[in-house]
Amino acid sequence: MLDALSPHHRTGGLLEFDAVTKVYGQTAALSQFSHRFLPGKVHALMGKNGSGKSTLVKILAGVILPTQGTVRVNGADAAFHTPHDAFGAGVVTVHQELSLIPSLSIGENIFLGRLPMARKFGLHMVDWPGLHQAAAGLLQEMGLDLDSHRLVSSLSVGQQQVVEIAKAMSFNPSVLLLDEPTSALAAREVHQLFTLVRRLRESGVTILYITHRMNELFEIADTCTVLRDGQFAGSIEMTQASPALIVEMMFGETAKAKRPARKAIDRSGSPILAVTGLTRHGIFADVSFEVHRGEILGIAGLLGAGRTEVMRAIFGADPIDAGTVMLNGKKVGSPTPKQMKEAGLGYTPENRKEAGLVQVLSTHDNLCLASLAHIAPSGIVTRAREQGFVQRQISDLGIKVPDPMLPVSSLSGGNQQKVVIGNWLNTAPKVMFFDEPSRGVDVQAKRQIFDIIWDQAEHGLAAIFVSTELEEVLEVADRILVMRQGRIVAEVDPTATTLAELYRLCMEGPTT
Amino acid sequence: MTAALTAKAGPNPAMRLIKTYPMELILTVLIVILIFTAPGFASLRNLLNVLRTGSMLGIIAFGMTAVIIAGEIDLSVGAGAALAGCIAAWFAGALDDSLGGLVAVLIGVVVALGVGFALGYSVGKFRHWFNVPSFICTLALFTALRGAANLITGGFPLATFPPGFDFFGGGYLFGIPFPVYIFALTFAGMHFLMNYTRFGRAVYAVGGNMEAARLSGIDIWWVKAMTLGLTGVMTALSGVLIASQIGSGTGTTATGMELDVIAAVIIGGTSLFGGKGRIWGTLIGVLFLGCISNGMTLLNVSEYWQYVVRGGIILGAVLLNQVLERVR
Repeated sequence: MLDALSPHHRTGGLLEFDAVTKVYGQTAALSQFSHRFLPGKVHALMGKNGSGKSTLVKILAGVILPTQGTVRVNGADAAFHTPHDAFGAGVVTVHQELSLIPSLSIGENIFLGRLPMARKFGLHMVDWPGLHQAAAGLLQEMGLDLDSHRLVSSLSVGQQQVVEIAKAMSFNPSVLLLDEPTSALAAREVHQLFTLVRRLRESGVTILYITHRMNELFEIADTCTVLRDGQFAGSIEMTQASPALIVEMMFGETAKAKRPARKAIDRSGSPILAVTGLTRHGIFADVSFEVHRGEILGIAGLLGAGRTEVMRAIFGADPIDAGTVMLNGKKVGSPTPKQMKEAGLGYTPENRKEAGLVQVLSTHDNLCLASLAHIAPSGIVTRAREQGFVQRQISDLGIKVPDPMLPVSSLSGGNQQKVVIGNWLNTAPKVMFFDEPSRGVDVQAKRQIFDIIWDQAEHGLAAIFVSTELEEVLEVADRILVMRQGRIVAEVDPTATTLAELYRLCMEGPTT
Repeated sequence: MTAALTAKAGPNPAMRLIKTYPMELILTVLIVILIFTAPGFASLRNLLNVLRTGSMLGIIAFGMTAVIIAGEIDLSVGAGAALAGCIAAWFAGALDDSLGGLVAVLIGVVVALGVGFALGYSVGKFRHWFNVPSFICTLALFTALRGAANLITGGFPLATFPPGFDFFGGGYLFGIPFPVYIFALTFAGMHFLMNYTRFGRAVYAVGGNMEAARLSGIDIWWVKAMTLGLTGVMTALSGVLIASQIGSGTGTTATGMELDVIAAVIIGGTSLFGGKGRIWGTLIGVLFLGCISNGMTLLNVSEYWQYVVRGGIILGAVLLNQVLERVR
């Protein structure tokens, strides 16, 4: 116990991968990955979604074991069955999602699960003075001006991220893994974080740094290692790297996305949805765009760029601070989901489990959730009345459902997603927002969902399509807006651009 | 697919029956046992009494079912029922001279129903505006309303009802206790509301997943507040019937009723997590609780044991539902 509190560092964490492979069912998430991460440096790890980065993180964090191959820390074989094993070997991971408990103090959060005990009045009690002293020592050593007694809930996101790193450092790691530590931070906070990372590097800790932001690499990293399709795609010194070179390593030879022939969109009339100067302080700013009948507008951007937030705000699910929304030529004051639905807007949310479906209700009920006013204008609903609407979506969207009266939770991800879409198509919308409609569905269902979107657009629906997978945005959309840090920074024509180019637009920092 | 489903539901029709109607079967078995063991259980007079007592409970329980399906709870119904009886009695006494007994008590009843609705609706609005859980709000009302009821009566039964008013709680119509008609009407009304109206479907959606319901354009706070308001009205209605039956507005009446009401709802298979439950199930729960109390009294089981048994039944019913959930 006391050992954990004493601030001595192990130095020189040499981290080696030798033909590490992780297989899930038929697919290899990581295959034959071999590399040496030299001690005392900041190593950036890059790769697009599905490249195997998160698998690597999970192996190092002790969440999963590799199927084959070995990981070595300072020359010793390491198999992390649990996160505890990883800590023991000196490998500590700071995950992307913050894991602090807001209602507890900084000190208690740092030593959670291993609170120092002391014998007082004959009782075995938590040694609060000792705990805060140790925490204060740790914070001071890292150059952080934070009071260990402060509650985490009173800290900014940036400060919480720093406390998270302090907690990781309390395990005296020789290898520290930072998984997208800046994704939720403001520019100033990023700067502070980098100061801390450099300090840790000087103290000899080996740092693995995962990010999607290109400009950060050049500021903080010493080397950059790239994964592609689960394989090692190369590693270079940052002094020899350029953004173009890294993007090339990430994407390799990319084929142009295949799209069906789409009708020319008539943009001469007035747009069906027009957004001007939409702002939500600290989330997104000055967002303006138009969508026309039959058009599929893609919004590309990295996680946290503000794509979902803009759509939720237009739909009235979140408040807006400034700007106007014009739907069908009419201005909407302050939107609510109910009002926007009545005006002809539909929204399929990004996480169907939490926000899209009522899992305990049947497929039948979920297909009628949004459209009850439409199905039963008098307020009286019968199963027979709903039946037509339910059957139409089941057959139109090809939903595979043994019995519509069984809970929707029994369906596969792809079919659940189709139920979310069907629920909204039943409201006969003029504009639909598709937020990550392909997340967590199999390849075949993904194709079917894209076909549904194209088909609906052919019939006049204006659609906004958002996906983290840029390939999909490129494939599905007629026109793409690129968002970065809450702003629209570019508009591109998917037929005249490449995946690498789109990725570069999404990733580039504000200064470069 | 069909083969797989039938296999899941049980190899033979008997197993399927048990899985689909567990509480109905248990209630039937209980009634059969009581008919043979409890002296006088099967007499018409006794059965009508069971129904009358069950009615007071059941009227509230149907409202409570909607509240629990919507993901909320109301702990104040016992105190609310007492308050309603006292309000009716107070008006009957205060306006008797100027308006005549029956008109006076009628005004009292209307006011009591209005107060019931307002209290329930406010609980919903408190939840919305101040993020105060309905558990806390109604826990506060649980003691406050009991106090208010006793303040109205001054601590003594207020026997101000005009002659003939006792018909509503204690009288018979075509040989059946009058409250049973109200009970049946409430059942039919709530069954219709929950299954055949937009509002009812919204209640299930709100309780099953608030965020999904909100994003589907459902006014979730209005739905929750309305279920609480509705339960307030039914509580007041039941309170007036109880007052009519005992002939006075009494501040201490219906003590502990909230727990019996919630027990009936849970025994009927409604999930406290929200989104799941049936009015029909609550009817079974009410009858089950009524029969078991009556049966135990007839069998001379001590009152203390009755409490223990009822506790066991609540726990058993929840376990049964959990187990069935898994095998279904």
